[in-house]
Amino acid sequence: MDLANGRVGVIDLGSREVSEQELSEEVIVKEFSCVKVAETLVSEHGNDSLILGTGLLTGSLVPAACAGMVRGRPGEDGTQRISPLLGFAGTELKLTGFDFIVIKGSASEPSYLWIRDGIIELVASPGLRGADAWARTDKIRADQGDRRIQVISTGAWGDAKNPCSQYVVNYWGGEDKHGLGSDLGAKNLVAIAFRGMGELSVADSDTHFVNASRVLKEHRARLGESKGLESYSAVAGREDFRSLLHRNLACFACPFPCRSYLKLFEDPKQMAHEHKEPGYLHYDVPALAKAFSIGLSAREATEAMMLCAREGAEPVAVLSNAHSHGMGGVDGIRKVLVDSPRMSHPASSEYIGSFQQESAFLECIGRGLCPRYWAKAGLQLPSPDL
Amino acid sequence: MLTPMSSSIILHIEDKANYFGLVLKTKSEGLVLGRPEGSAPGQAGTPSGGPGAKPILLREPCDLCGGETKCAKICPSGCITVVD
Repeated sequence: MDLANGRVGVIDLGSREVSEQELSEEVIVKEFSCVKVAETLVSEHGNDSLILGTGLLTGSLVPAACAGMVRGRPGEDGTQRISPLLGFAGTELKLTGFDFIVIKGSASEPSYLWIRDGIIELVASPGLRGADAWARTDKIRADQGDRRIQVISTGAWGDAKNPCSQYVVNYWGGEDKHGLGSDLGAKNLVAIAFRGMGELSVADSDTHFVNASRVLKEHRARLGESKGLESYSAVAGREDFRSLLHRNLACFACPFPCRSYLKLFEDPKQMAHEHKEPGYLHYDVPALAKAFSIGLSAREATEAMMLCAREGAEPVAVLSNAHSHGMGGVDGIRKVLVDSPRMSHPASSEYIGSFQQESAFLECIGRGLCPRYWAKAGLQLPSPDL
Repeated sequence: MLTPMSSSIILHIEDKANYFGLVLKTKSEGLVLGRPEGSAPGQAGTPSGGPGAKPILLREPCDLCGGETKCAKICPSGCITVVD
């Protein structure tokens, strides 16, 4: 099959039973959307299934074809809870040999999923329950012996099924604005880890290459050089933010990156990392905007977002709660994170700039494309012929 | 087959600002490390953190795509360029 594996991995956490089902090329191409395929899988496997998926273009040479998706149980009002998987996670997921992973039921003890080479394994890991997201990533990578393993995890907030939790990809948060960290907690999963060593075939690789190169060249000429997150949002243009900037990082195949890494605990002009946890990768626009709106400096905002990522807590909600209770500064954030109050998500107006609020979010994610990049590039969505 | 996993190039990074190089598996010279100060043979270097992480020794050697170096053409950041 071209640009896809044609396989869905299914695991029932309760019975530990793993199975595979075929995904026909007809379905993948006809739907041309992993969001729609996921809907079909939900109708087959149940609404409480947690689904990881990749689009037809994920991992292809199309610019910013880096996206996968996570679909949780719909909200009580029926709203879809779909968040993107960016960085290298979407591509790695596809190269595991599965286009989709369907996770059913709940594990009997805290465990993580370990997916690679067409294999899905449930690994008991009671010691990771309560650990923060960074410690989970470190531990899983160390135990499996590969630092390139992609780890979706959460922290205490997800474990406690807090509606304002978030999933964290490796060490960074910002994709999940639907509280999908709580879906991990509900399934007694401390993490989902995967590593892609597979390959994808292309029917007409020369044409794909020529067309993708043409689009890339045109985009690069039009967009110019990226200044990282500042190129996408004015919130990252503040001088105190710039003064901490270490470097800008791109997701897979992205020519105009939006990720800016800030160093807090050592010289940002120094390339080497001597401190074990020197800083944080910013791409969460609404969280940064919220932090600045309540008076935090770039340094304080970065520290607050590090703390939220570790605990698997959604930072806009945490910052709003701290501010509404008159708890300013990083100490106030710490207190909210420890107290872990159950609260509702802030209004959607607080999430302007999130991936979910980009125009054509579902269309982009469905195809495997970064919605933020393609909104910037002009939404000339590629067709299946590309 | 067209995939980053097949690439015979991996990134080489050292802890210096604005410094990086590439490790290339060639047909004629085996592994070649290209750095700002010049090329050196037979060094595996530090791999990138991306998905193109199949051990370079398992990859097919680079033949420069018969003259049209596709990696340079498709490189999203423009890091890869071809020089004589």
